[in-house]
Amino acid sequence: MRPSALLERLLQLVPVLLGIALVVFLMMQATPGDPVELMLGDALATPEQREALRRDMGLDRPLPERFLHFLGNAATLDFGQSFHHRRPVADVILERLPATIELTLAAMAIAIAVGVPLGVVAAVRRDGWIDRLATILGLAGVSMPGFWLGILLILLFSVQLGWLPVSGRIGFGAEVPPVTGLLLVDTLLAGRPASFLEALRHLLLPAVTLGLAMAALLMRVTRTSMLEALRQDYVTFATAKGLPRRRVLIRHALRNALTPTVTVAAIETGTLLGGNMIVETVFGWPGLGRLVVEGIFTRNYPLVQAAVLLYAVTYVLLNLLADVLQTVLNPKVRL
Amino acid sequence: MRSRFVLAALAVALPLTGAAARELRVGYSADIVTLDPANHRSRVTEGVIHNMYDAVLTRTVDMKVVPEIAQSFRQIDATTYEMRLRPGIKFHDGSPLGVEDVKFTFDRLTKDGAMEGKTSPRKSLVGPLAETEIVDRLTVRFKLSAPWPVFPAYLPFNQVVSKAYVEKVGSDGMATRPMGNGPFRLVEWRKGDSVILERFPDYYGGASDIPPVGPARIDRVIFKIIPEPASRVAALLAGEVDLVDELPHHAIKQVEANPRTKVLKSNGTRSFFIDFNTTKPPFDKVKVRQAANHAVDRKLVIDKILNGLAVPLTTLISPDSFGYNPNLEPWRYDPALAKKLLAEAGYPNGVDVTLDVDNPFKEQAEAVAAMLTQVGIRTKVQLWERTALTELWKDPSKHDRNMNFRSWGDGALDPVGIFVPVLKTKDRGNFSGYSNAEVDRLLTAADTEPDQAKRSEYYQKAQAIIREEAPLLFLWLPQDVYGASRRLVDWEPSPRGIIKLHRAALAD
Repeated sequence: MRPSALLERLLQLVPVLLGIALVVFLMMQATPGDPVELMLGDALATPEQREALRRDMGLDRPLPERFLHFLGNAATLDFGQSFHHRRPVADVILERLPATIELTLAAMAIAIAVGVPLGVVAAVRRDGWIDRLATILGLAGVSMPGFWLGILLILLFSVQLGWLPVSGRIGFGAEVPPVTGLLLVDTLLAGRPASFLEALRHLLLPAVTLGLAMAALLMRVTRTSMLEALRQDYVTFATAKGLPRRRVLIRHALRNALTPTVTVAAIETGTLLGGNMIVETVFGWPGLGRLVVEGIFTRNYPLVQAAVLLYAVTYVLLNLLADVLQTVLNPKVRL
Repeated sequence: MRSRFVLAALAVALPLTGAAARELRVGYSADIVTLDPANHRSRVTEGVIHNMYDAVLTRTVDMKVVPEIAQSFRQIDATTYEMRLRPGIKFHDGSPLGVEDVKFTFDRLTKDGAMEGKTSPRKSLVGPLAETEIVDRLTVRFKLSAPWPVFPAYLPFNQVVSKAYVEKVGSDGMATRPMGNGPFRLVEWRKGDSVILERFPDYYGGASDIPPVGPARIDRVIFKIIPEPASRVAALLAGEVDLVDELPHHAIKQVEANPRTKVLKSNGTRSFFIDFNTTKPPFDKVKVRQAANHAVDRKLVIDKILNGLAVPLTTLISPDSFGYNPNLEPWRYDPALAKKLLAEAGYPNGVDVTLDVDNPFKEQAEAVAAMLTQVGIRTKVQLWERTALTELWKDPSKHDRNMNFRSWGDGALDPVGIFVPVLKTKDRGNFSGYSNAEVDRLLTAADTEPDQAKRSEYYQKAQAIIREEAPLLFLWLPQDVYGASRRLVDWEPSPRGIIKLHRAALAD
């Protein structure tokens, strides 16, 4: 990829982010509900108290001024104070981000490890029993709600068998010096294999819950594009040349078939990085999803605005990554 | 092959069993926002903070207000209260708690901009407190700018902080690195995940009116945030936590049936009711409102939908509340009377109305709607998001909706926190548009009446009027339900809804 193309793509981020910032800002304002009232709830509050809070939150200023203020500060990565935490939004979000990244990477690893091989086998043995089984599993995986699967896994592995913990990221006794925030990495860096195992045991159920739905999706995409690839002339030609079957499948068919899979995987990673409220709620996983959904319900404007900007950047960058990977998989593709 | 699989699984499972001997884990339903006692308006947050910080006064399980860090507390005149500090109280860093800390705490709550330019969101919870004066080494006087008889009832909401420490770390430091005077001190706050506390060995012992007095009896407390009810129950049944709040009703039988767990209950502080839009027909007529109140079989809804875990309400005041009028006749379920009242009001053929509700209470609202429909108040339920509903109902004269299903919480259990906002003319929670000069007069008089017996009398009179005029469809007061391990002893829930574990112990 040419450096200028990369720069061009990154510059495209600017108008995208500006547009998103404006839309999110206006949408939050247009949503009924007063952040001050929501924070105070039913308990005693005088009109002076309301005014003081409104001032502290900056809600006493006119709308355009607030938007410009938000943009100006956002340019320096200052997203203001979270209404409810009464601390900088950036701190509150960064505290939750590592848990979400760790869960996303684990879920995606499971999804790719299960989904891609299954898709390939299903395509190669089309209409065979593996294909049928994979199709059924794929349908189940896509349509099964995360909270239901999560609860079932908890009931089986935590309550009945007692093998895995119900919730959390690591035991309460573990003290892991934070380096990356990813516990699987930090425990190893600190040289604590027991804590690493513990973190892994906590990660397993939420990652499987998220990963299986994603695996089903990747399986279906891979199967379809693999079937398409297998019909192409170059595959027939490679087979006719007498190349070994395995080589034809992997080097010729799969490599081309993977293009849509990579795009889907990248976009889905972007979605996962937004945090998955449902899985985080079921497993008490301290990720971003729960925080942002709570922020929406309590009209925590600064928090939601910052989070949505973060999502936008993540999405655009992952799309870019998908495009770069395309050029690796298929030299004919140029950016 | 099979045994090898089991062995491998066991090896993976082993680290779980190494828990400390006296560690109590709480499965907590909601996330906390800060650990600074003065910088939030969140009851769940306050619940955790109470384990780290004590207040001037506290409440017993049956809601009596008693001294906590105060040795004694008295009212001097209508606007002056005096506390004598109990000597020998230490903060978690070993420094002594003095009257300067008490003054600093209340100045930080009341003075505008006292928190690095910002004002504490808890300012209203000390009412018209104007000055906190140091009288001598152990005596502090609270001077109010106007009489506010509930001042002592609201003091348990505000915990005392260390002046020197706040000046050192600022409000940002207080949010994440608290340093209190309570039975437990912070080990680690894993944001969004858990709060880990350990016993403070030099604790002064807590309120002397609530035995046993002394340091905490458990070594570590962990508040683990598990928002999903089913997962919270699973964690309790799996023995991962010893206590859970907000136990879902459907899990009660399961928790009771398990030999290792039990169910604990306490009356809540949240009254459920339906606003009538009293500014427009048909609910501008008293008889229609009375008809609706007679049309609902509260006991049936409580038994069938709320699993028996609520008490029916005659007005909106909890039976545990100060000023509760025990002499009013409860609403009798009487569909024939309801039809008669409706006809007398000019609706012999019934009337079509709407009932607004948000999703969590849909089932209850539908049950009520069905009963209303049976007597001729043909009710259509509409679902909304709660925030949108609050916005819409703020001014009932500006919309044509008829009924609004909602609730109001009152942690202080004093009518000042529920009766006044919901039923005084144009007050902040008055969505029914109800306005009655005599009720207003009684509520205003009670607001400043220093004689508690007289205050109570005003509220009781006001309730009698409300019972007659029925500006709301009074429903029920649900109970708070907890699930606990049978190992947990010496802890019982109270209407405060706060899990303070100072006196809790673990058997075996």
